[in-house]
Amino acid sequence: MRASCPSPAQELLEYWLGELDAEREHALEEHLFACAACSARLAALVDLGAAIRRELLAGRCAFVTSAPFIRRLKEAGFHVREYAPPAGGSVDCTVTPDDDFVVAYLEAPLGGVERLDLVIDDSTSGKQRANDVAFDAGGVVAVTSTAYLRTLRHSQMRVRLVAVQGVNERVIGDYTFNHYPST
Amino acid sequence: MISLQHAAPYAPRMSLVVADEDDDGALARRIAARAPGRDAAAEAELCRRLGPRIRLYGLKHLRSEAAAADLMQDVLVMVLQKLREGAVREPERISSFVLGTARQTVVDWRRSGARRARILEAFPVDFAPQESDEERPEPLDAERLRDCLAALSERERAVLVMTFYDDRPADAVAAELKLTAGNVRVIRHRGLERLRGCMSRPGGEA
Repeated sequence: MRASCPSPAQELLEYWLGELDAEREHALEEHLFACAACSARLAALVDLGAAIRRELLAGRCAFVTSAPFIRRLKEAGFHVREYAPPAGGSVDCTVTPDDDFVVAYLEAPLGGVERLDLVIDDSTSGKQRANDVAFDAGGVVAVTSTAYLRTLRHSQMRVRLVAVQGVNERVIGDYTFNHYPST
Repeated sequence: MISLQHAAPYAPRMSLVVADEDDDGALARRIAARAPGRDAAAEAELCRRLGPRIRLYGLKHLRSEAAAADLMQDVLVMVLQKLREGAVREPERISSFVLGTARQTVVDWRRSGARRARILEAFPVDFAPQESDEERPEPLDAERLRDCLAALSERERAVLVMTFYDDRPADAVAAELKLTAGNVRVIRHRGLERLRGCMSRPGGEA
């Protein structure tokens, strides 16, 4: 089996992540050792992945994830500050120099929901809407950029979970975060 | 961490007396033909070309920058030694020989638990592979990457971050996001394409 040239980016990534079967992996390695262009494309892909990881670890990424991923961050030794305000309630929050990540657990009954949007009304940066976020039946796990939080003075963020079905929208959860700078 | 930055600075670049169009096999034949003498320029050029590929292989299989650098050094030394001894039967297929040597070295390291044989002491070399312009990507603009990541869809960003945090395959990311592996592959591919497109545009517009 001979890998084509240039190897598709998808195949290079699958190789890097260990998703290819042994035969395809060996064939691609033969090709990569003989082909400077494909080797360079793989190096660029690896470089991009490393840069994404650096952004994450520097606290410059905001994204919606899952509880198992947060557990892995904690198991790796990162300091994770966690908030779980009740639906309809509020919580005082901050970020300290020791925090690597700040995570919000937004609990809500999401069984039967097909698409969920996150609507954020931030007294500092204004309104934002994140469409079609990841969720499970129990709620949403959102990582906030610690780099951004560290720039804030006192600020309030109102977060709503909005179920979307066709043209219909329904607010399922409403949470308020009162941010205070670390003293 | 995986980085393509080298752990130690390389030696100054030697003046090359090889043509750019010489393929890897032609360089290997030159080295073998000069034995027991040395063709230092051909050796340096071969190392410049193959060194980054060995390091990449090392990063993939050893997931350690230091181990990958060790692997590169050890494999290059062993390959040059074999070429000088005339022990490479098909120099024109040098890339296959290098890959085989890298594979066997990784197997040996895993079997023995040894990380670093002191082969360099027994076989000193006065060269080191250099950064290959053709194989070294431009450094990424971190600020642009931040903007481009922010411009992705929520799911694309989540999948890419969760994938590259520790180089997780699609099925593992899928299990954490309650998606199928196929879904994750589609989102990952689309996200990467959009990210690379954004990064390559002047100004980085998403």
